[in-house]
Amino acid sequence: MTRTLGVGEELSALDSSRVIGTSKSAARTRTFTFAFGIAFTLLYTIYERLNWPLFTWQPAVGKMYFWLHRPLSGEGPPMYWYGWIALAIPSALVVSCVATIIPSRSLYRATIFCCALAALWPASLAALRIYITDWATFDADFLNSVWVATIPALVGTAAITYFISSRFAERVWTSWLLIVPIGGLVVLGNSLLIYFVR
Amino acid sequence: MDIIFSVIREDTFWKILLFLHFLMAVSLLAAVTLQAASVLTSARQTTGNFIDRFSPVPAASYATVIILLYVPQALLGAFIYLKYRLYVRIPMEQLRHWWTLGAFEFKEHIIAMGIGLLPAYWYLWRQPISDEDAGVRRWLTVFLAVTIWYAFGAGHVANDFRGIGS
Repeated sequence: MTRTLGVGEELSALDSSRVIGTSKSAARTRTFTFAFGIAFTLLYTIYERLNWPLFTWQPAVGKMYFWLHRPLSGEGPPMYWYGWIALAIPSALVVSCVATIIPSRSLYRATIFCCALAALWPASLAALRIYITDWATFDADFLNSVWVATIPALVGTAAITYFISSRFAERVWTSWLLIVPIGGLVVLGNSLLIYFVR
Repeated sequence: MDIIFSVIREDTFWKILLFLHFLMAVSLLAAVTLQAASVLTSARQTTGNFIDRFSPVPAASYATVIILLYVPQALLGAFIYLKYRLYVRIPMEQLRHWWTLGAFEFKEHIIAMGIGLLPAYWYLWRQPISDEDAGVRRWLTVFLAVTIWYAFGAGHVANDFRGIGS
């Protein structure tokens, strides 16, 4: 009887450890896939805007160049789209692997930090450019720099990340899966306006 | 490629691929539309009139089909894109079809976003389906449906400019 109870207890302990293991692996898969979705859509937008392809394909001559290649005379039009995707996939994979390792609280805050920085950096650069052309009473051309724009962007991002509560960061984490691609499409669509206003 | 072109003419080869791309797009469109309709109406199915009680195939059963169609469809589109860049886009620029060109450029981005969201989409629809992520699952499905509808429309317009039957 004692022996039977012992075996039963062992089996139930084994079952519960299996359940814990399964739920842990499910949670890790969830984190990985969600982080991949957020990171890929964010990085794709950034790479497209900065024009950072992993490679450039020249379809007319059938040649592939590493990174960004400006076409030589007679090479025809370049194709960067493959290169942006090819760079965004491994970058997002690295980010998602890191996301499964770090504690959840840090992940939620890091996501807010990255998304806020991605929004504030170009916004501060645009604000600086407006200031230079419309408001500055001195030669403020030195402010027209990506690196100068980093300072207000980082300060703003740090403030947002600091003041947002952990509960809120956790609650909105899955929403980034929709916010980032839609925001990315707004940015990318805006860059295509030149075609629609000609 | 030379082996293929020794059997069929080059333009026939590209037309076959384009037609295959179209067929897969229609299948994908049907699956994703039914799934999106299902997730948007599921909350009203237990009561109400005939339309409210309309119950399509369970939404989860479409997820695998959608992923299995989306990935090869994106790859096939990426391959056909080579031909588009040289033989469609350049005349488009020369004839100043800027709206068609801009719409197609946006298609590239919207498809890339869809590719990035596929792993999360797969997770959200795998069994057992969790109630915790019901909201994000519903809107991600709708977002994917919008991307596919947009891609279909933009692709169709580009095909009308220079493609099958144009």
